Amino acid sequence: MSSFQRWAFGLTVPAALLTICLYVVPILQVLALSFTEPTFGFGNYVEMFGSAAIGRVVRTTMIVSAVTTVLTIVMSYAVAFALVHMRPAARRVALFMVMVPFWVSVLVRAFAWITILRRNGVLNSALVGSGAIAEPLELVYNQFGVIVGMVHYMMPFAILLLYANLSEIDPRIIQAARSLGARPVTIFTRVWLPLSLPGLAIASLFIVIFSLGFLVTPAILGAGRVLMVAEYISVQISSTLRWGVATALSTTLLLVVGVLVAVAARSPALRAAFEGGRR
Amino acid sequence: MSSNRFGQDAALIAIEKFKSGRIDRRSFLTAMAGLGLAVAMRPGAASAEANEIVVCNWGGAALDAFQKAYGEPFTKKSSIPVVIDGAGPETGAIRAMVDSKNVTWDATDGGMTDALVLGKGGYVEPIDYSIVDKSLVGDGLAAEFGICNYTYSNVLAYDSKKLSTAPSSWADFFDLEKFPGKRTMCKWIQGQLEAVLLADGVKPQDIYPLDVDRAFKKLEPLLPNLIFWESGAQSQQLFRDGEVVMGNIWHTRANLLRKENPQFTWTWNNNLMFASAWSVPKGNPAGKKVFDFINSSMEPEGQITLLRIMGNGPSNPKALALMTEEDKAVYSLAPENAKTGLKISAQYYADNEAALQNKFLDFISS
Repeated sequence: MSSFQRWAFGLTVPAALLTICLYVVPILQVLALSFTEPTFGFGNYVEMFGSAAIGRVVRTTMIVSAVTTVLTIVMSYAVAFALVHMRPAARRVALFMVMVPFWVSVLVRAFAWITILRRNGVLNSALVGSGAIAEPLELVYNQFGVIVGMVHYMMPFAILLLYANLSEIDPRIIQAARSLGARPVTIFTRVWLPLSLPGLAIASLFIVIFSLGFLVTPAILGAGRVLMVAEYISVQISSTLRWGVATALSTTLLLVVGVLVAVAARSPALRAAFEGGRR
Repeated sequence: MSSNRFGQDAALIAIEKFKSGRIDRRSFLTAMAGLGLAVAMRPGAASAEANEIVVCNWGGAALDAFQKAYGEPFTKKSSIPVVIDGAGPETGAIRAMVDSKNVTWDATDGGMTDALVLGKGGYVEPIDYSIVDKSLVGDGLAAEFGICNYTYSNVLAYDSKKLSTAPSSWADFFDLEKFPGKRTMCKWIQGQLEAVLLADGVKPQDIYPLDVDRAFKKLEPLLPNLIFWESGAQSQQLFRDGEVVMGNIWHTRANLLRKENPQFTWTWNNNLMFASAWSVPKGNPAGKKVFDFINSSMEPEGQITLLRIMGNGPSNPKALALMTEEDKAVYSLAPENAKTGLKISAQYYADNEAALQNKFLDFISS
């Protein structure tokens, strides 16, 4: 190592130490607790896999995460695709609007959705007032409301990831396809879509992982009717003091996410996404 | 655990009172400064001098309220200062302190259920009734490991404008034909199934042990019309927004709703009465002196101060004689309010809460 490299390496030490002390050590403690609380052994894992209630929580989490991911990706793709085709001035405005939700806390966004979706909310009042419907729709305090809130939270991330990918596609390829007589639909399905697979893969992975651990949005917009894994863990830690089961569930969640990343990292599409910057 | 949540909520209520000008600015600032201090220099092992009493509660404006209601009167008499630490005496925190032999709190503000759970685990001292006068508190409010410092209730609150007649019992809560509209119940289990079983015709004296299956069966058809609240502020917001016409909520929140807008009110009929309690962590720094403080905290004047600031009801029945009509209207143990009240069994929850809470969450979410 040159002395510059040593210096550069030295500069990463504080961050590494912080990460180890504040992140790695607590995670190891969580792992340890899952095997020792209240008694030593695999009891917590046996209980977790045997519990029908936890099974239902996991199923709800998977359904909500899957629907959220599909909706987020489809809508974000449309937005990202439009961004790529905009003039620079319009794109700047559009990107700004995509970024705005980042500056609003997740809590505020959840409450804002309640204001819009509740029975006497903005949307229902408008629909009833215009005579479109007779009775207000049940839009919140259920799975629908949770998914709306989550999709809204995830879309900026997905849009930015997809936009980065789509804007790297060489426009000459599209021109070539066109000059060879391909129709717009063909160009989209046979050129755009295959070339954006790395972006789609990484965005989907990101959204799935994020969704699995969502706490605030489901708790507020679900109001007890939609119980997901993160909230279940939080209740076991703070209310019922069943730390053993809570830590076993956290460990499993971490493991599932780890496996998802590992599997995805082996797929060519995602490798391309990770290596995209180094072309 | 429900009373912990109530304790936190009561502090929030005091903040709202400040905003609406019902607490003077000076005492509010004192409380907030106290909060900053409590955070910056949490009384560690070193500060646990023998000559002070450290009380741990749920922070916020409750710091100042506890100081006024319990601390100042005691200091005046004994010249022993009282320090209020707003760190939140969660059972887990007390357990960790006692285990590590680094106890910094003398008295903690938890629920009767917490007192029982901690007592069973050997984490708290028995209340020394040779120093604390048991007869100062009402019937059943003095237990081996905790003595009641204040009381509160879950009540049936409703929106009188949206309902043509006033609901008067939990049975009405289930009557969708006569009282159409959404209702709200709490996500945290204490005081929820009791209301359901009363509505189903179970006699108050037969409520415990709770017939959970019967309660779920009664509750199931109502689920599509229920929104579950998590925090006191949320229960209030659901009424304000017109989302619900009825709810099983804390009386302190129902009171705030009524003060804001008289169309919201509540019935004391079949109210569900909770007791909060002082506990003394094992090996507390002030030793036996804490029981002098606890005894002093039972005096009616201080307890009425707390009622006026936060809405928490006195545990000493003598306080009643000093109350104005306005005070009595919000006091769950006032005779006319308590007539049909049901006492929540702390023992039952000490034995069953964890399992029951999970069963309830599973039930309402599926």
